[in-house]
Amino acid sequence: MQKVFLTLSLLFLLSSFAQNTTIVPGEKLTFTASYNMSGIMTDLAEVKMQTSEVKTSKSTLLRLKCTATTYSKWDSFFKIRDLYESYVSKKTLTPFLYKRDINEGGYYKFMQYKFNHKSKTVKSLKRKKNKKGGFWDENKTLKIGASTKDLVTTLYHIRNLDIHKASIGDSQDFTVLFDNKESSVNVKYIGKESINTNIGSKECYKLSISINGSDILKGSNNNLLWLTADANKIPVYATFKIAIGSGELKIKSATGLKN
Amino acid sequence: MRKLLIILGFITATLAVILAVTPLSKMAFIPAILAFIFGLIALKFSKAKQLSKKSIQLIFLLTIISISLATYKTIFQTSEVGDTQELELRDEESVEDSKEILEDLDLDELDDIE
Repeated sequence: MQKVFLTLSLLFLLSSFAQNTTIVPGEKLTFTASYNMSGIMTDLAEVKMQTSEVKTSKSTLLRLKCTATTYSKWDSFFKIRDLYESYVSKKTLTPFLYKRDINEGGYYKFMQYKFNHKSKTVKSLKRKKNKKGGFWDENKTLKIGASTKDLVTTLYHIRNLDIHKASIGDSQDFTVLFDNKESSVNVKYIGKESINTNIGSKECYKLSISINGSDILKGSNNNLLWLTADANKIPVYATFKIAIGSGELKIKSATGLKN
Repeated sequence: MRKLLIILGFITATLAVILAVTPLSKMAFIPAILAFIFGLIALKFSKAKQLSKKSIQLIFLLTIISISLATYKTIFQTSEVGDTQELELRDEESVEDSKEILEDLDLDELDDIE
């Protein structure tokens, strides 16, 4: 019994503190997000995923930044300027600080999570605009699981998975903290596929993503992610289906990669 | 029948022009083609009964305007990101603010993990 327990805890430790072998500072991925309107794909926004190094007096962390910006033709109709960022350990991609600053067509929201992995808590701050133009804050302390991560870190963790060791049909669950709630996201390896992208023809790992107990993402096999089947595991293509239609994310450029 | 076709033609042609002006210009092709079809059938009826073709000509004119505008936009308009100064400013401010927060955070556990 003790041996089983020891093996299990070791496995758990390995999975939660898996070493980062994929993400380096200075990486910049640019995507085009399109939305399907009556069968016609319309370019909607540019999504960027960038990494950089942040030095504090005690340590050096990795900053993972995602931005979403609508194309100028949409700005007068529905302007989106979203900023998502996460400050993580360089070696293990463990998150310490997460910020979500969204500005979508006049709607503003700011979320901040300060992670404390020792006490397994998160200090959350929610800031919204009130009608008078001022801000109101809501502070909360949340209990989280040992492997709970924020959204941005989870995206990078998926890239850091050892997919080459997985066999078709294997899946892994991630616990994601979003809007002060923990949700379980399931990532399933479907197989390999070669696709044409803006950065050339790539052999890719095809993954299916679903959120357990939520119906934000529709269908079981409509939300797919293609990661290049090399050491960089760049997300080159993604399709998603939500209540109000479907869309896709296509890579435009990738620079500063590790391998 | 001719009247109905002209009304439908006007509605679809106007919709096509409106869509062609908005960023949804690609979608203008659908009502434009419909308007063209309605116009053609209405023209046939008008010719048979030797009635005025002025309103039908107007439908064709609107259709041509919308199709040319939508085609021009599809070919020449590239998707460009608009003004991101404000976002960049927020980004820079956020890094500075984050550095202060991270200084205060207990990052000892970072060493434990590593």
